[in-house]
Amino acid sequence: MEAVYELLKAVSKEHFMENMVSIPLIQPVIDNLLNIPLVGYVVALILWKPMFALLIFPGLLTLMTVLLFIIWFERKLTARIQWRRGPLEILRWAGGIIQALADGLRYFFQEVIVHRDAHKPYFIQLPILIFIPVLLPLLFIPAGSIVGIKTPYALPVVVAIVSLIPVFIVAIGWASNSRFAYVGTIREAFMYFAYEIPFILSVVAMILVYGTADMTAIVEKQTIPGIILNPVAALVFFISTIMATSRLPFEIPEADQEIAFGPFVEYSGIMFGLVMTIAYEKMYILALLMSVLFLGGGNGFPIPLLGDLAPVIWMFLKTMAVMVALAFLRSIYARFRLDQALRLSWTTMLKISAVAVLIGAALNIAQVA
Amino acid sequence: MSDNIEFLNSGPLAPFKKWGTKWSLWPVHLVTACCGVELAHAYASGYDGERLGSLNYGISRQTNLIIVEGAISRKMARVLRITYEQMPDPKFVIVMGACGLKGGIFWNGYHMVRPSDVVPVDLFIPGCPPTPESLLRAIRSLQEKIMSGEAKNTIEFREFDLSSVEGRSCPALPPTTPKVIAPTPAIKVDVEREVEWSFGKKLVKRFEKELEGLYDSIKITGKNRIAISTDRKRVVKIAQILSAEFDHVKNVNVIDVPHERSFIVEYHISSYSVRELMPVVVNIFAKIPRDDPKFPSLMTYWQSADYLEREMYDFFGVVFEGNPAMGEKFLLAPDTPDFPLRKDRKIRDECYCMEVKE
Ligand code: SF4
Repeated sequence: MEAVYELLKAVSKEHFMENMVSIPLIQPVIDNLLNIPLVGYVVALILWKPMFALLIFPGLLTLMTVLLFIIWFERKLTARIQWRRGPLEILRWAGGIIQALADGLRYFFQEVIVHRDAHKPYFIQLPILIFIPVLLPLLFIPAGSIVGIKTPYALPVVVAIVSLIPVFIVAIGWASNSRFAYVGTIREAFMYFAYEIPFILSVVAMILVYGTADMTAIVEKQTIPGIILNPVAALVFFISTIMATSRLPFEIPEADQEIAFGPFVEYSGIMFGLVMTIAYEKMYILALLMSVLFLGGGNGFPIPLLGDLAPVIWMFLKTMAVMVALAFLRSIYARFRLDQALRLSWTTMLKISAVAVLIGAALNIAQVA
Repeated sequence: MSDNIEFLNSGPLAPFKKWGTKWSLWPVHLVTACCGVELAHAYASGYDGERLGSLNYGISRQTNLIIVEGAISRKMARVLRITYEQMPDPKFVIVMGACGLKGGIFWNGYHMVRPSDVVPVDLFIPGCPPTPESLLRAIRSLQEKIMSGEAKNTIEFREFDLSSVEGRSCPALPPTTPKVIAPTPAIKVDVEREVEWSFGKKLVKRFEKELEGLYDSIKITGKNRIAISTDRKRVVKIAQILSAEFDHVKNVNVIDVPHERSFIVEYHISSYSVRELMPVVVNIFAKIPRDDPKFPSLMTYWQSADYLEREMYDFFGVVFEGNPAMGEKFLLAPDTPDFPLRKDRKIRDECYCMEVKE
């Protein structure tokens, strides 16, 4: 009886309203909506902070918008660098901004081919399963007071879940059972070990700097942004982000000119649409993480009218800045060979990340003393 | 299953499907001939095909458009078909260039196929090569075709009554055929020529002594060029003697002379090891009857003759006795007609109206 009562309380409108996103600008509208019976419940649910984090920022809605934007932006930027216009005619007055939508629709309606040699169950379910490690981290990343799950171990949890993504990619390559997929998978595995250690070390350095792994606390502590406190760690984090999302110059596992998208070579239609966006989704998560760790997350001028939405906007802008920087790399760099990339990460990057940890430890001791 | 596809093509979702496909025509990288240069131009900064949402991309599994860039040879036809089969539906084919239409400059070649015999074609672009503008135009009309579901001409020409044109003094006649065929052209391999080449004259003297009784004539046909005429019985002996200094065959060549019922087989030999013989090319040639096309292989003396002899067998059916690879196709695609360069091979007739089979 007690338990049922607790449960009912947990899903009640009042419970949601205790912890709601407050936006002074449109507060009257929200108040009115809340009074309508069913609509009120839905509005309260959406504006309930954990649900807001899941559905709107940094969750699904922003993720989709960012995906559509960044793919278009990348093509447009590459085109401008090559003295072209890029996607345009589809929506002339807006510079063809819905190009990625058309591509997505086309993929959605295209035939999905499952070839004879594929391991059919895994081949089909892995691109969908991979959304678990891609979407879960979003719950732990705070924007101001809006956060899905608040825990002191948020940072290790996010890093651990993100590290799971390559395992899925390797599994995808295995299920595809084709020689290009095989080569790409091997490359992915090599790169995985190469960037993961500097990546984790740079995160450890930042944990040392702030003395905590709770992301909300980390953001609060950043009166000076982390990129100034420990620029070395920021550099290592940035480079390993490029490697982790296989962007140029480290686009080694996919390398469409030589191994035709490596692990994803056999996917067609909407399945390819799903696996192609993995790298972009990972890029989004790591950009969020970068803005939390190094750029002060939701910190910025408070905007009274927007209330809880202000940190969301600051964080969104910082994340987009990081993503745009990442997209920029694509059009100006050539690709490293696998051995060059491995040498770089196992020697130089490892050394620099060790230095970053030392700086972090020194700052930590200075704070304690 | 087909019900579902029917639903996608005409149900409430059809406009989305058409719209998405229209703005996302991604050609696969399949460069088959020189028209590919124009394709590159159409997608580079000058014309920027990406404006239309079309992007050259990866491999067939992830794309939906094949632009056949000009000539398709028999070997490439297989590749084209495989690429087409790998591509997920809906898929489209644009054929560029005169070669893709009727063969272009390779018209009547034994190695050409028409892309329309291999895959269903949506649009043809004439020209050799077509301009980038016309390629973009084709992509635009493909977009229109996708939206409306029907094929239309890209350009509507205006009707024009020629009889009203003033100043025409004579009636317009179709041009006469430009083909001129000499019935029995003389084919002479060793036309003698006077040149300042004292070393050559010395060389000819030496050959005349060394090859006593093995040749019909030895002539200087130009600076650094000597032709030795012989027949197929004695040629092995000549090869044996000359291979001491001349260490490789540059070229094996067969000339078909149908009106004399014979083939002429030529071996061009030269030297890499003797300094003063390096620029010299000696042509040993012999006539063989056309109904008994056999020639001794000179592979034992010149290893480099091996592949050249096989190639000549492919083209003319001259059997080089002693070469182990006779009787099989070497470089030609398996379905090429036998001995395609023989002059009496029947070429495919020009056909302007095709019968439509019900
Ligand atoms: S049509 Fe002209 S340019 Fe095109 S492939 Fe043929 S020869 Fe080359």
